[in-house]
Amino acid sequence: MHGPGAMSLTREPDHWVGRFVAMACPCEVLIDSPTEALARVVVDCVSQCAWRIEHKFSRYRQDNIVHRINTSNGRPIHVDDETARLLDFAATLTAVSEGRFDITSGILRKAWIFDGGTHVPAQADIDALLACVGWHKVLWDRQALQLQLQPGMQIDFGGIGKEYAVDTAATLANSTAPGLSCVVNFGGDIAVVNERRDRQPWKIGIESPDRAGTPTHIVPLLRGALATSGDSRRFVLHAGRRYSHILDARTGWPVEHAPRAISVAADTCTQAGTLTTLAMLSGAQAETFLKASGAKYWLQ
Amino acid sequence: MKILLAAAALLVVTGCSSLGVQPWERDVLARPEMSLDANALDAAIDDHIYFSKEASSGGRGFGGGGCGCN
Amino acid sequence: MNDKLNLHAALAAATCALLGTPVAAPAADDASQRWSFDTSLLYYGESDDRVQDISAALSAQRDFDDDRKLSLNLTADTLTGASASGAISLDRAQTFTSPSGKATYSTPAGKVPLDDTFLDTRIALSGSWTQPLARLYTVSGGLGFSNEYDYTHLGANASLARDFNKRNTTLSFGVAYSQDDIKPVGGAPIPLSQMLDVGDLRNKRGDDSKDVLDLLLGFTQVLGRNTIVRVNYSYSDSSGYLNDPYKLLSVVDPVTGDTVTRVAAGGQGPDGVYRYENRPDSRTKQGIYAEMKHAFGARVWQLSYRFMTDDWGIDSNTLETRLRWPLGAANFIEPQLRYYTQSAADFYRSSLIAGQPLPEYASADFRLGEFDAVTLGIKFGHRTATGNEWSTRLEYYQQSGDVPGNQIVGRQAAREQYPDLSALIVQFGYRFGL
Repeated sequence: MHGPGAMSLTREPDHWVGRFVAMACPCEVLIDSPTEALARVVVDCVSQCAWRIEHKFSRYRQDNIVHRINTSNGRPIHVDDETARLLDFAATLTAVSEGRFDITSGILRKAWIFDGGTHVPAQADIDALLACVGWHKVLWDRQALQLQLQPGMQIDFGGIGKEYAVDTAATLANSTAPGLSCVVNFGGDIAVVNERRDRQPWKIGIESPDRAGTPTHIVPLLRGALATSGDSRRFVLHAGRRYSHILDARTGWPVEHAPRAISVAADTCTQAGTLTTLAMLSGAQAETFLKASGAKYWLQ
Repeated sequence: MKILLAAAALLVVTGCSSLGVQPWERDVLARPEMSLDANALDAAIDDHIYFSKEASSGGRGFGGGGCGCN
Repeated sequence: MNDKLNLHAALAAATCALLGTPVAAPAADDASQRWSFDTSLLYYGESDDRVQDISAALSAQRDFDDDRKLSLNLTADTLTGASASGAISLDRAQTFTSPSGKATYSTPAGKVPLDDTFLDTRIALSGSWTQPLARLYTVSGGLGFSNEYDYTHLGANASLARDFNKRNTTLSFGVAYSQDDIKPVGGAPIPLSQMLDVGDLRNKRGDDSKDVLDLLLGFTQVLGRNTIVRVNYSYSDSSGYLNDPYKLLSVVDPVTGDTVTRVAAGGQGPDGVYRYENRPDSRTKQGIYAEMKHAFGARVWQLSYRFMTDDWGIDSNTLETRLRWPLGAANFIEPQLRYYTQSAADFYRSSLIAGQPLPEYASADFRLGEFDAVTLGIKFGHRTATGNEWSTRLEYYQQSGDVPGNQIVGRQAAREQYPDLSALIVQFGYRFGL
């Protein structure tokens, strides 16, 4: 059992809502269930799933695979199948983003602190950290399931882990209660499992990331997923420029001129999240990129 | 009269800026039966009946009517 | 970035490999693009075999992307029965010429004269389109049409709303304009002219029309997580033919209060003196409507109040309340209560006095008199397993009014002057999506 947090279940007129905290954000499951018992089973399995993935891939823990990799100091580490799939996926993202996205770029956060402040690191500090960034410097043996980082390098599933957790929990919810409709929402990354009994869409509100008074956009979703990337509080203001928290792994600098927030709807949360990330990394070309992708999107 | 009303409305808007809820507190208001236009068909039927039996009509929306019954 | 098509394929394949599942069926990209329907079948029946109405209504709504919305409504109803003509009851039978001018009909002694309403079928069609404009504005526009054997209505409306204060406050402004053509059976009678014998159409004119301009200023405010209120100011200006072409006034003897008799040529015509009503050719109404909805847990309480006043001298107050009470997860019951009271129009009079000069305007239409009305109702709704909803509503409507004492002449005091009206309303509704 991975039960670090409390879970609550409340009843709304036409659905049940389970709430818990995982991956440092509020999570909820909306369930179109006729009975409380069934709703509870679904919330239990979704929350267990979220806590399991958090436990396994959090970079803040010292008892998981990420910690073993990040403290390997140049030694090869054997990984399990699930970690291997995440590594493969990260590698694909690095390839399609031409190196802008990189799961080894997390250490740049030692220099960049995105707290709305004004500190911009020295180029020398960034250069020093960039020596330890780059998937091409890593040996990833897919057959042997062995990953070997250079000493000083670290990985971080921050950019994809939450979306993966949403999709995994959604799949699990459907196998636990086949056909039952629910919404898995982990801090704004959302997947809708099955159509509701009344065949009406779930109405998903997209919150404006910062400006108070900016309205919510309501997206009706029958099935599919929605992911949002934004920089409401995570940015640096320097010399009149606003640096988003999205770092370009090639330069070590934040992407400029990116939209404040991007939401994308897609078949799976992972796809939606990937598109928001890639769009953010496109900076001023974000909207052009989203248009070309053919996905439904909302910018703020 | 109308200018007065418009001014009153503006005052109300300013006065009400402290009222209201955050977007994430809209769970109850988002319920279909909390919509002011829930049961629009019932309301239209009632309006039509009362239009044909009473001297006053409308108020909620446009004055109903479109009927030779009054 | 790389070639977009390759990118798409690469991402789809990578997602599929990551999640260990085949790529899901395409997400319902057009999730919002569906129809929802609200249908209703209504029976309205007045006591004493007066008006009976059966009406079917279909309302269809289609949601498109970006909160755009199309709504279409169709109503058909069939009306039969009779309604009070405005003439007073007498201790003897009365004979009238029918509106067509081709026949007569009689009312037994002691009964309030009723005018046989023709079997009438009314068809009404309307549609509207709503969409956001910029970020905080919503515009909508609509058209309406209805037709019955003696009446055609054409209307258009437009409104603009703006949200303020995190969408907690909405201000809206709407305009509606309609033009109605009236083709009374047998022609519109010359106002205040006397009812003539069968075949004598000298007091009938052709068709007529009226125009109505409505303005609506609306204000909606979220008061808290459970409460929302709305206040509307409405202004309505009607001009043109505002009479009811079938309504009469009895011309009575100043002492006895009985209708003055006349002799019809060959017995084919009225046996008393009756005049057709005349209302002003313009009317300006203003109203304030306030409504509140409050949720107590799963229960929802609705309260509304309306005040209306017009330059005909009619003031009305309406108070209405409903409480939606869930019974389990799938059912609800909703008691409804409405109270309405109005004052009489300045020109309302139950009869005309023989020998006195004719007033400029006069009507004995009970709907322009002073009365109170109460509606008691209950609605029961059930949500099916597939999410559709059916409902049944039962309402009882009762009007009771009085003719002012100073208008009652002679023997009229002993008779019923203002017939109470009661009606039963039964409605079945079914709401579903496609």
